[in-house]
Amino acid sequence: MSRPTAADLALLVPELILVGMALALILAARRIRRGPLALVGTILAALAAAVASASATSSGGATGFGGMITVDGYARFFKVLIAASLALAALLSVRCLDREQVPRAEYHALLLLASTGMMLAVSSLDLLTLYLGVELMTLCSIVLVGITVERPTSNEAAIKYFLIASFASALLLFGISLTYGATGTTNLAAIASVLRDVGSDPLLLVAMGLLAAGLAFKIAAVPFHAWAPDAYEGATAPVAAFLAAGSKAAGLAALGRVCLVAFGPEARTLTMILAGLAALSIIVGSIVALAQTNMKRLLAYSSIAHAGYALLGLIAGTPEGGSATMTYACFYVFMTLGAFGVVIALGERGESLDGFQGLAAQRPGTAALMLLFLLSLTGIPPTAGFVAKFSVILSAVRADQVPLAVLAVACSVVSAFVYMRIAVLMYMKEPQEPAPPRFPVTMSAALVVTALVTLVGGISPGSLARWTVPP
Amino acid sequence: MTDYPVLTVATFLPLAGAALLLLLSGERLARWITLLTTLATLAVVAPLYWRFDQSSGALQFVESADWIPGWGISYGMGVDGIGLPFVLLAALLSVLCVAASWTAVRTRVREFHVALLVAETAMIGLFAASNLFLFFVFWEMMVVPVFLLIGVWGGPGRVYASVKFLLFTLAGSVLMLVGVIALHHFCGTLEFKALAGATIASRHQYWLFAAFLAAFAVKVPMFPVHTWLPDAHTEAPTAGSVILAAILLKMGAYGFLRVSLPILPDAVQLFRLPMLVVSAVAIVYGAYVTLVQTDVKRLIAYSSVSHMGFVTLGIFTLERSGLEGAILQMINHGILSAALFLCVGMIYERTHTREIADYGGVARTAPVYSTLLALFCLAAAGFPGLNSFIGEFLIIGGAFESRSWLGAIAIWGVVLGTIYLLWLYYRVAMGRMNPGLAGLALELDAREVATLTPLALLAVGLGLYPDCVLSYLHAPVAALLSTGGAP
Repeated sequence: MSRPTAADLALLVPELILVGMALALILAARRIRRGPLALVGTILAALAAAVASASATSSGGATGFGGMITVDGYARFFKVLIAASLALAALLSVRCLDREQVPRAEYHALLLLASTGMMLAVSSLDLLTLYLGVELMTLCSIVLVGITVERPTSNEAAIKYFLIASFASALLLFGISLTYGATGTTNLAAIASVLRDVGSDPLLLVAMGLLAAGLAFKIAAVPFHAWAPDAYEGATAPVAAFLAAGSKAAGLAALGRVCLVAFGPEARTLTMILAGLAALSIIVGSIVALAQTNMKRLLAYSSIAHAGYALLGLIAGTPEGGSATMTYACFYVFMTLGAFGVVIALGERGESLDGFQGLAAQRPGTAALMLLFLLSLTGIPPTAGFVAKFSVILSAVRADQVPLAVLAVACSVVSAFVYMRIAVLMYMKEPQEPAPPRFPVTMSAALVVTALVTLVGGISPGSLARWTVPP
Repeated sequence: MTDYPVLTVATFLPLAGAALLLLLSGERLARWITLLTTLATLAVVAPLYWRFDQSSGALQFVESADWIPGWGISYGMGVDGIGLPFVLLAALLSVLCVAASWTAVRTRVREFHVALLVAETAMIGLFAASNLFLFFVFWEMMVVPVFLLIGVWGGPGRVYASVKFLLFTLAGSVLMLVGVIALHHFCGTLEFKALAGATIASRHQYWLFAAFLAAFAVKVPMFPVHTWLPDAHTEAPTAGSVILAAILLKMGAYGFLRVSLPILPDAVQLFRLPMLVVSAVAIVYGAYVTLVQTDVKRLIAYSSVSHMGFVTLGIFTLERSGLEGAILQMINHGILSAALFLCVGMIYERTHTREIADYGGVARTAPVYSTLLALFCLAAAGFPGLNSFIGEFLIIGGAFESRSWLGAIAIWGVVLGTIYLLWLYYRVAMGRMNPGLAGLALELDAREVATLTPLALLAVGLGLYPDCVLSYLHAPVAALLSTGGAP
């Protein structure tokens, strides 16, 4: 491989912006302990990265670094999404950072670096760069989960997450090496062409299984989900929100590209693996959420179920299915960040389910926003969640997976009970605790943005179609 | 008349009113804005009754716009002779609901009216939608405000009742979602008109019918998925009960008319007999259960099970008279169940009891109230000259044409209906004055009389001149029977 040229680097402008800002924050760490500088820098970097991704050389899908990196429509879509979740997570963190005494510069630098990893993963055309991106994301996330060093639960969560994530990385790497052994390449398109020429090979099936398992860890799909509830519960709420939104979107994007591009010719096996993952995630996520009394754990199980729904789009192995998963990922990111946003905004009170009692009487606006996010998570029109659910179930039905579609909607009734239980607490119970304090303006801004996307996405779902370009 | 998108305006005017309410505060203001919004909506839709061309079975006042081009789904509105009466009924009842809640609702007044207005948008939109996607959107949109109406402003058992309502309806409607998606997959379109012309393989039709049945049967509600209804209707506030009984129950039956009959004719033939049997069971079983109720609201709620049994019976006779009777009866039941729930709500505001045993001799102190109650009870019992008579007559006629034993069962249901309604009236209004009611001012005030008057006029008017609805039904019912529903 030759040395990278300026044209290669031009493909990585968004990543470079984020890395640059992260390094700047680390260098200036001692000077910006107080004050909003780190936050402002992060937001600006996220916006710049989003603009750079969106405006990158239109269509065509230029590749660079010897065909390892691309900026096709797929990558650009997810990069913008990742930048958005970075900015929103940063906005939501404001108060938690003060309360938990988290060092600001380091926190924001880690957020930025994790996002860089995500962006790298979604623009990879090669298993190795994909692995690098995913690992950068995971390592930063682990530190973020454990960043509140004073709190034992946070440390415990970080260690659990670390152990399981290492195991997942090993699986992923093993899968990559087996793929290399079977096909002689790690380039996704080249793998596909070998597959087409040679046909299936038992070794390759094992490799596919391992790769899928490794990436399933990242999106917390059952049976590789065990880390998520503990990590979400132990982490501070904004970190949990960032994990649920950003890292899930990036994991889905990586999995989507691997499935659709590299293993496209092995559609039958892939369908089996993904259908199994999706069905288990939906069932376990919906049902176990019933028993939760901690909001972060509840949202963790909800995110597990949503990972399952998002996978429904990939099962078909078709471009339309890919678009459906992209739609799902996009709307999921905003509605889940919104729900987490309300939890964060309520502070200590928001952590437990009982804290929501009587919220509608004390804070009608906040309760209404939460209701909107809950309806969207349930998938009731006219919210974005409905459009997302409609699109993935449509692609499942098109893939002749009607039983799976029925299972998915049946479980959505179970999850409706989960979400509406919170609505019942908010609207139909008397308040038990004093009204929560007013939120900082940053938090309101984040909530308004997520609510707008959730609502507009539901009313005008066609608006997204132009951007959801499958790989 | 200017040609503006009248159905869209009628559908979204209440939503705009709800948005306005969110920006303002003040209880009196909220009531007035809601009243004016609902009145304006009624004023928008009322002229349609005269502008409508009765000779055509097609959708009228059609509007269409691109919505989700990627899926081939458009935004489309339009009503035929079946949809129009329900749009009018929904607009009228919304006004009455606001009037009925004027003094009854005292907590979270603004939120109550927001929920009411959102529900009105969903109701009107559902009956005006010209494609299945929009139909489904409004169908689901209806669930949330009604859930909140029951759960926040309802009686003592409201939380249980509201959650039960939510889970039952969602369980049905998610299966409908799969049905909608499958139809989209098979036909590539969701326009009602195009779907009615599409040919779908029989084996697919059976599954699709079952999926839609799950949603419609819960809403109607048909035996044995009716168990949410007594709880929901009983615990809901008066306005909630009115919306539930008068409109929400009709959504299911309307679904049969809009989706099952025209689009899935083969499946309708297969499921016809089971549906008739279940309807007959609902009529008789519902009536017997109604007889033993001791709670006024619960009694009326159970009577809905029996009355809606007549409707589904009429629909699945697949005879012209049965179908027209069923649709007419849907309107009649909408008027009468609303009127009865309003009557109960008005007296409950004064006595704070729903036990029949706590009443008696109301007629002595409240002659106007008792007269109106008598009118509505007689009408609901199918007294000739009042509106239900014609509907039940047509349905039973259709049932005899279809299978004579069905007609016999239906008549038995009418007899039982007369018994429980007149017995209810006897226990509430006649006899010795219950000592517990002494000293209470039971008579209605002007606002309440004004609320009930339109319904009383409609009950008498439709009874004497049913053709003012029936003439709208001939063309669409003929179209329905010719598209494949005919035996």
